[in-house]
Amino acid sequence: MRKLLTLLAVLVLSSVLAFAQTKLITGRVTDQQGQPVPFSTIRVKGTKKGVSADADGNYSIRANSGETLIVSGTGIELKEAAVGVGSTVDFTVNRKNSNLAEVVVVGYGVQKKSDVTGNISTVKGASIADNPVQSFDAALGGKAAGVQITSANGVVNNPPVFRIRGTNSISLSSYPLIVIDGVPTFTGDVSMSEAASNPLASINPADIESLDVLKDAAATAIYGSRAANGVVIITTKHGKRGKTKVTYDGWVGQTKAFRLWKMLDADQYMMIKNEGVANKTGATAKFLPTNGPDGKEINTNWKDYVYHTGISHSHSLNISGGNEATTYYIAAGYTRQEGIIVTNTFERKNFRFNLDHKVSKIFSIGVNAGYSNELNKAATSTGSLPGQAYSTGGLGRIALILPPNIAPRNNDGSYNTNGAAIGPMNNVKPGISYYNPVVLIENNHSSTENNHIQGNAYLQLKPIPDITLRTVYGVDNLNSDNDFYLTPLNGDGYPGGEAINTFLKYKRWIWTTTAQFDHIFADRHTLGFLVGTEQQNTTQLGFGLDRTNVNDVYYTNAQGGWTDNVSATVNNNTNGINTQNYLVSGFGRLNYDFDKKYFVSGSFRRDGYSAFAPGRKYGNFWSASVAYDLAKETFWANSGIGKVINTLRLRGSYGTVGNITGIADFASYPFHSTKLYDGTTGLYFSQAGNKDLSWETSKKTDVGLQFSLWNDLITGDVAWYKNSIDGLIINIPQAGSTGIPGVPNLTIPMNVGSMYNRGWEVTLNARPISNKNFRWNTSFNITFNKNMVTALAPTVPNITYTTSGLEQTSITLPGYSIGTIYVLPTAGVDPATGRRIFVNAADQKLGYDFNVKKYYDLKTGAVAKSIDPVKDKRPMFNAVPKYYGGFENTFHYGAFDLGVLATYEGGFYVYNGTQASIRDQRFWNSSVDVLRRWTHAGQVTDIPRIVYGDNVSNGSANPISENVQKGDFIKIRNASIGYTLPTKLLSKGGISNARVYISGQNLVVITKYKGPDPEVSTNGNDTQGQGVDRNSVANGRTLTIGLNIGF
Amino acid sequence: MSNFKKSKMKKYIYQFIILSGLALAAGSCSKAKLNPVSSTDIPSNFVFLTKDRIAHQVNGLYAQLKVGNLLGGRWVIYNDVRGDNFINMTGNGVTALLIWNFSVTGSDAEINNTWNAAYNTINQCNLFLDGMTAGGDTVIKDAALVAQYHGEAKFVRALAYFSLLQLYAQPYSKDNGASPGLPLRLKGLTDNGHNDLARSTVAQVYTQILSDLNDAEAGVPGDYGDGSLNVTHAHKNAVIALKERVYLHQGDWDNVIAEANKIVPASAPFKAPTGVANTLATDLKDVFTKYTTPESVLSMPFTGANEQPGTQNQLAYYYLPDLGNGEYSLNDDGIISDAAWKTTDARRAFVNKDGDGVSWLRKYPGGDPYVDWIPIIRYSDVLLMLAEARTRKTNSVDAQAVDLLNAVRHRSDPSTTFAPASATELIGDILHERDIEFLGEGLRGLDITRLLQTFPAKGSAGAIDPSNAAYIFPAPTSETQYNHNW
Repeated sequence: MRKLLTLLAVLVLSSVLAFAQTKLITGRVTDQQGQPVPFSTIRVKGTKKGVSADADGNYSIRANSGETLIVSGTGIELKEAAVGVGSTVDFTVNRKNSNLAEVVVVGYGVQKKSDVTGNISTVKGASIADNPVQSFDAALGGKAAGVQITSANGVVNNPPVFRIRGTNSISLSSYPLIVIDGVPTFTGDVSMSEAASNPLASINPADIESLDVLKDAAATAIYGSRAANGVVIITTKHGKRGKTKVTYDGWVGQTKAFRLWKMLDADQYMMIKNEGVANKTGATAKFLPTNGPDGKEINTNWKDYVYHTGISHSHSLNISGGNEATTYYIAAGYTRQEGIIVTNTFERKNFRFNLDHKVSKIFSIGVNAGYSNELNKAATSTGSLPGQAYSTGGLGRIALILPPNIAPRNNDGSYNTNGAAIGPMNNVKPGISYYNPVVLIENNHSSTENNHIQGNAYLQLKPIPDITLRTVYGVDNLNSDNDFYLTPLNGDGYPGGEAINTFLKYKRWIWTTTAQFDHIFADRHTLGFLVGTEQQNTTQLGFGLDRTNVNDVYYTNAQGGWTDNVSATVNNNTNGINTQNYLVSGFGRLNYDFDKKYFVSGSFRRDGYSAFAPGRKYGNFWSASVAYDLAKETFWANSGIGKVINTLRLRGSYGTVGNITGIADFASYPFHSTKLYDGTTGLYFSQAGNKDLSWETSKKTDVGLQFSLWNDLITGDVAWYKNSIDGLIINIPQAGSTGIPGVPNLTIPMNVGSMYNRGWEVTLNARPISNKNFRWNTSFNITFNKNMVTALAPTVPNITYTTSGLEQTSITLPGYSIGTIYVLPTAGVDPATGRRIFVNAADQKLGYDFNVKKYYDLKTGAVAKSIDPVKDKRPMFNAVPKYYGGFENTFHYGAFDLGVLATYEGGFYVYNGTQASIRDQRFWNSSVDVLRRWTHAGQVTDIPRIVYGDNVSNGSANPISENVQKGDFIKIRNASIGYTLPTKLLSKGGISNARVYISGQNLVVITKYKGPDPEVSTNGNDTQGQGVDRNSVANGRTLTIGLNIGF
Repeated sequence: MSNFKKSKMKKYIYQFIILSGLALAAGSCSKAKLNPVSSTDIPSNFVFLTKDRIAHQVNGLYAQLKVGNLLGGRWVIYNDVRGDNFINMTGNGVTALLIWNFSVTGSDAEINNTWNAAYNTINQCNLFLDGMTAGGDTVIKDAALVAQYHGEAKFVRALAYFSLLQLYAQPYSKDNGASPGLPLRLKGLTDNGHNDLARSTVAQVYTQILSDLNDAEAGVPGDYGDGSLNVTHAHKNAVIALKERVYLHQGDWDNVIAEANKIVPASAPFKAPTGVANTLATDLKDVFTKYTTPESVLSMPFTGANEQPGTQNQLAYYYLPDLGNGEYSLNDDGIISDAAWKTTDARRAFVNKDGDGVSWLRKYPGGDPYVDWIPIIRYSDVLLMLAEARTRKTNSVDAQAVDLLNAVRHRSDPSTTFAPASATELIGDILHERDIEFLGEGLRGLDITRLLQTFPAKGSAGAIDPSNAAYIFPAPTSETQYNHNW
């Protein structure tokens, strides 16, 4: 109240002062859309008096009545206004269409894009708000150069593979640091159920103002030890002064699987399998039809039971506004999204409350807070998340390989089961070990429910205009409830059933204090200086209950009646999780420019991190950068070329940053753990640790050129970069006989490897047509990236990667890109015998006969030494794309708008392991490909002779080059057509604007890849296992209709 | 720049320095948070500080031996399914199918997991022995207890090496142990850089095993005075019984007899005269249901919720069709087809025929959570080993050997008495008896390989003779890829 009175007094006083000759004029600079124009210059015409507006466009200046104020700035047109009797002069200025005019969010502050010496791409929140995605990161694909988003599978709320300028780690995370309103948040998949749960889904994309992608050292070094993978700063929306605005955004849509494999029907299946049996000596299996309840032969399409058309909808409502002192943004959102797999859903309820208040001229406070409840569900294993590729109940594979001549139900309606597996019906000894998916879908349940609070409160003091002191305390608390129930009827829960309930609590607080000094000396020397400290503390607590042998089938949760308690596994830790880490930092940044032409900037950060051993805790990170705005030179601006090339800016930066994301909190320590022996305590050596363990160091070089032509008709940015990463943490495999602990692989983490990513980024934006009726904006970006591992450890010539713990698909070794596909070379099928031709390490071609399990030299016909995967496999295909990017076009014609975003990746291969599954000649169903099988001498085909039980010739036992395909693709990621309703019509209803649209995701896929989706990554975000498609469910196609209304 | 501006600039700079100093002070760091202490794992430098933790480490050594990939499950299963008594029913590649049909390769997880589990146990023993010598002994003080702990660690190490030898190296009898054996690791390893170590010969590994067991025999107590400890920890008789087995595998009949004579009297009733009073249980079923019988010389214990063999490692999971997953049924052409094995023999109760006529082993009766104890050495084995050694040594129908054989048979089938006419017949009877007696106890594979017999064909899996590479496990790639001296 006292503050209010003080304010009132100030207001009265200032109105009195208004009668004085020189008065204080205050005002605000906004653009046509009412958005504030920050940092513009306001001068009194004919004098040297001038001031700079702040980040919100506010300014104050002393002037006399009758004088004229002029506002100018980069990216806006000049505007004048006379000083009248009042003390407020607001400007509404026209923006020039220039990207360089924008404000970008940098670490711990904002800068004018034209002043930034680092490489930062900005994506407007509005451009992704309507996307039918669960989390904003999934919508970033193709939006910015250097950013690679790969949607790993069709499971809802699965984190996409997110890379900025390539994969920058081998053992740690390559996911960028995500900072939401100043608070670094949790990333990855936090789910411990069958559903996926990306914690970034807590942010409603509709609440995002901007996403700034920091790429080079100049931009990221201020984040020090966590910046190696780049940094993405999310800024949520804030209220703007003026009338209260209410906005509703909603859409409803449907998602469908597409490009699915075509499998054999029941008759074809029996024909092929029986042919295989005939070709296999001693095989006793027989594949016989069974009649269904309708008396007809059963012909089951298992995909019908696993896939469906998912229905989704989303609603976002926000209210924002404010006055001179206080602005607010309050939002609520609800969305429910169904995936293409039955029972796979995502539901989010979220609220956001952002408030900024200016207590006095020098003192402001504010709160940003978001609460979200997310429910991620998947009744049973989708077989598509990392580690699940070979789940016996994984729906991705089961939909393909179950025999089509059996049905999920017996004719009496009961489930067709045979113990844990599905029953064989009339098939004789088929040895089916896979589950009945219908039992699992109808009876199992599994979910991850998150309650996520993210927010901060700040105090800001501006004792004098040039100094800003700010202290921010933020929290990110994520509570995650995981429920898991396996029916006793069939599958993994057979015969006793199992229920698991685990609870995980992620808690983080962060306290950041900064002091910023900005001053323009002698009109032409602009100096900015920032120092700050930060502490971040993160704890993770988890516990759970795993119960087996249900007392009564009535119970379906862990709280019900069960016979046995199994120690619950939380992240494979039987004792649960109780861990913490702490990061303490000091940092600073210095910016200087002369005449807005020559820019120099440097930043520094010192981080201390708790996971490292004493003596290894602290690290220093820094960057230096320069920029030169050539087009601002008088000789340029006045020359003919200056009329064509309006902006020409050269910049360069170099620096060193680190990566600690993914290091276990106690990775450097040696530990003993306890386990029971005959009910008494046993103590054993459980972790070797490494007292020399440290962060990975990334040296980033960036040289760039920004330009604009013909008054910003075309703008562009070209950058060359190189990230050299040293001290890569490699889990150095230890020979089994060393007995170093670790399951299944014995390893010790060491800082030994090195790798680089280097390449070019090109962004081109143009507005070929821009008139009153028709506007066309086009934006193209491409990134050429070369990833190369340059060194591992002396004792480690290579690191192999095993997909889902079963199939060694990838290898990382010097001279190759990370995670190179590692397969046995094959050379088609021998037309004489129908045998798969393997090529051994000595380049001999060997034909394989599964019937006798022998390899024959193709030349001599003699029995040859068997193929040995360890000796004969070769690193053959790069899984890392050589180029990727996006191409976006938007058209506005009258009230209509059309937007098309294409994304593409190229120059890489995918190991199509699913093709091995669907050519496997056990009882598994096959794709129609096998109808081309070899049947007679001389036949030239790519499918070997069918021999029942053959899991070798088509690549199930060991991955073969036959199943590797080019992954290059172009996708129409998003296309939408909108219509903006005439304002006249709406204004009566109080509606200020309304737009309806229809939109489609993944409408077109152009690829030579034979699987459903070349984007699939069975190993998710794993750095070493990219380019593997093993039984995963592909991305669906989504169509939505939506509505945006503003009141 | 005017003086005015200079002074103003100075003022700014001073203000800035003061205020940023304040700001920095606000963010002072917390040393304790930077040096956190784990609340869920015990730092390794704490483990030799107290008597309790040292005792717990001894338990830990057995616990490592007992993991599902080793004696707590799969080692036993592998040695059974390699033999001729089991038929794979599920075709599941992760439940020993490839071991059953001898097509397993060095990169298969099963080959690597058991190897790694055994060497993990060995390294735990080495670390323990090093740590005791480095200071643990002085914490314990009591010389007898020090000797006991050293002895137990050496026993566990010997048993781990012995278990590895039987699967990953050529039988001793092939060439008197001249074949490549195992890398002999005797120092505790905690850090990088120790991958390369050549294999010692089979004979050298046997020598080390016997050296460890001799030390163990001297160090461990004769009787713990506790029914459970006498089954789950190494006592003198257990060490002696293991030595008997080791010598048997070396074909060193003299020493088999010498060791056995320490714990087997010359004539019935056969009962260990010293140490734990090991003898045959009256009812064999008790060994598998009551666990701590006098017959149980050494067993791997399991207790309830937090001490289980782990998924797909449990014997009952493999062998029981109802309470388990019925991974393996009994081979109709295997030992159960033996007509001389009478239906009245109590051990026939372990063979259970289902409605489809498929026979299953019901020795480990408990379903989930699968906590039936696994016998590693039984007194009946002590007797039969002695019987075999005596027969082979004397190459005659040795009277004590016949007595020993009949003692085992009569316990389950009093109506049959062996009276072999020749040494050959007696040997046949003894081996036959072993096949019946230890069905599903992990000894069948061992008995085949130590005698260089051919693994008989079974179901769809063909016979494997000793010259076949698949006769022993392939070298695990987790070793060969990184141990450049392999």
